[in-house]
Parts: sequence; structure tokens; C-alpha cells
Amino acid sequence: MRRTQSRSSGAFAGAALAMLALVLLTELPSAAGPRGYVKGALAPATMVTTGFLDWAGGGLAVVTEASRLRSDNLRLAADNAALRRQVAELQAAAQENADLRRALDFQKTFGHRTLTAGVIGRAPDGLTRSLTIGRGSAEGVELGMVVVCGAGLVGRISEVTRSTATVQTLVDAASRVNSYTSGSGLEGTVIGEGGPLSMEVLPQPGVVVTPGEWVLTSGIGGLFPRGILVGQVAQFHRRDSATVETADLAPAVDFNSVSTVLVVLDFKATG
Amino acid sequence: MKYLAAAAVLFPAAILQVTLAPRLEVAGAFPNLVLLAVVGWTLVRGAASGLRWAIAGGLLLDLVAPGPLGVHALALAVAAYGVGFLQRSFEPDPWLLPGASGALAAVAYNLVLVALSDLLGHPISILPVLQAWIAPAALYQAALTPLALLVLRRLDRALPRPVVIDW
Repeated sequence: MRRTQSRSSGAFAGAALAMLALVLLTELPSAAGPRGYVKGALAPATMVTTGFLDWAGGGLAVVTEASRLRSDNLRLAADNAALRRQVAELQAAAQENADLRRALDFQKTFGHRTLTAGVIGRAPDGLTRSLTIGRGSAEGVELGMVVVCGAGLVGRISEVTRSTATVQTLVDAASRVNSYTSGSGLEGTVIGEGGPLSMEVLPQPGVVVTPGEWVLTSGIGGLFPRGILVGQVAQFHRRDSATVETADLAPAVDFNSVSTVLVVLDFKATG
Repeated sequence: MKYLAAAAVLFPAAILQVTLAPRLEVAGAFPNLVLLAVVGWTLVRGAASGLRWAIAGGLLLDLVAPGPLGVHALALAVAAYGVGFLQRSFEPDPWLLPGASGALAAVAYNLVLVALSDLLGHPISILPVLQAWIAPAALYQAALTPLALLVLRRLDRALPRPVVIDW
């Protein structure tokens, strides 16, 4: 019995060491190409399954006469999200360069060339919360490109294969986005925590962040263009002795239901 | 035959993990189907078999997940070893063991992912993640593990028993 246990422990130690070596090896920058090639192997299966699940979800809804309600709901949700973005950008426009705020249409306001991509998969765990999209290097997608949707900022491209790419979303536990609040103008960093969003704000005497204020990218650091909607302040935690104050944010994008995103092709990150 | 059975369970589980599972979110958590399979198989066939499923299922998951290869395989291996340890060390309780194993495996699996993320230079604040993701995920896995165990026991009965030579 004891010998069986020690064999099992030995096998575990060997396997763990081998997997750790594989992690470190495939993390090397020189391994990015082969890694992307290997990962692309299962992309068709993921794409077909997502298509089937979307179809099955829609088909079931038809049977239960919920399809119309579902599409109405989606349309209204999209309209609502677009209106929220427009409101946020209009509010920010009062303090921003008028050139960037003239149009309400997303692409005009944004002023960048974008590529539409469907979401074909999601992260298997709740920590990374990434999205897999059905566009890759063959369509010009590159590492670090910014990804948005009608409601606001989605994230950045963190991995690319020939036909797919991975988007590190705002709610990824390792995500950090420099942002500012539209009303009070305080700057800080939006931090993903694997679910909710929070913003660490550098306090200024006499300036208070109020719930309902919009949070937009500040462009500091050069990873994101300035002025993309990130979320809305839900609650602000003020502590007199703190060097950094925090705000709980409601994300502008519903990461669980987003199915189509836009990859910004012509913004070059400088950070 | 046993390799075919493993492939028939683990391959769909890995694909469904990135397509179907995130749609099953409850209270901020969604199930990990590969982890369910690995925990269930460890309880059915022991730590050595569970470890093999963990490596195979983890590598499949790594192919569809972001990041370097081996991350999920290592996390699942730790989870399988932990379940094997739990099974060996405590009196098996048919009611408590599956749920406890599912919860323990989910915590171990996620903590390894957090540690590896730190190791690779992407630090994660553990407390918010523990509250927002790991705790609800552990409860979710604990609730589903008995169901997975029922299915895998049927599969186990359909497969030839391995020959065990105990010294």
C-alpha cells in the first residue's frame, strides 16, 4: 500500500515537473509561433461547437416562442449599450478635444479602422476571462491590438494564431487599464478581478468621485487610445488616510453575452 | 479501449469547456467539465489513473485556452493528486467524499493557476479572486461532482478492470 502511494507520488512529481518545464518552454517568445500553430489545431472544433450551440439556443427559443423576445431583448440591450456609450462620450466631450467627439457613430468618433470578428470561444477558467475570436494573423490581427464593441472597451489581443486570436478582457484578473472619471476627472487604473471591475484612483483634495460617473480610457501608457468607455462608477470607497481610493465599476460591456467585437487595426500601442 | 474512453470523455469536455460552460454561469462561477471528469475518474479508479486523465485533459484544455501549454495540465494534476490524497487519507464517505473532493480540487486547481500566473509575471490579487471566483467555483464543482461520479462509474463498469499487483 505504502509502495503504491510512493509510486503515485513519484509519478505526480515527475508529471508536475514535466508540465512546469513545458509551461516555461512554451512561454518563451521564440515558442510563440509553434505554440500558435499547435493551438490553431482545435480552433475548427471550437468554431463548429459554438455555431451549433448558438443555433441550438436559437432553435430552442423558436420552439418556446422566445426567439422573438430574445432578439428584441438583444436589440434593445444593444441599443441601450450604444446609448450609454453615446451619453458617456457626450459627457466626456465637454472636457475633451472636440475633434474626437464630433460624431456619435462609434467608428467616426473612434476614428480608427476596425475589423469585425465573431466570438468563437471563452476561457476555460474564471481567472483569465478571455475571449477567442475567429480572426487571426491572416486577417491582419496582431498582438496588443485593442478590441472594442458597440458598448465600449473589450480588451487587447494577447495571443494570435493564423485563424484565431485571444482577447484579454478587462475583467481578466491580470488586466490593468489606465482610465479617468468623466465628471471629477480623477485618473487611476481599472483592475480586473476575474468578475467585478474596480478602479484605483489617485485622490485629490476636495475632489470626490460620485456613483454614476463614466470611466473612460486615459491613454496614459500608450496601450489604449484615449476616450473609450470602460464602465460606470457603482460605488466609491473614500478613506481619509488612504493613498489610493477605490471605486467599484459596472463594466460597459457584458462579457458573458458579447458575440461580436471590433479589432482596431490601425492603433499602435506605444507602451 | 481505456484510451478511447478517455478521449471520448476528455475531448468533448475540453471543447465544451470553452463554448458551453461559460454560458452556465451562476453567481459568477461556471463549472469546469474537465476538472469534473478528472475528479470523478480519480475517485473511481484512483490517483494514478486520475493523474493520466489530468495530464491528457489538461493538455487538451491548454490547446483551447490562452497562455502557455501545460498550465491547465499542471493545475489538474495537482487537483487529481489532492483528491487521491483525500481519498486515501480519510475514511471514504459515499455522501461527503464526492462533494468535498470537487470543492478541494477546484480550490487547488485555481490556486495553481493563480500561482503560475504570478510566476509568469501576471500577478493576481488573491483575495478578490478568492471571493469572486474560487469560492463560488468550488461550490459549483462540489454540487456537480456527485453527478459526474455517477456517469463515470457507469463508464468504469463498462471497461475491463485494470490488473493491480500490490506488493
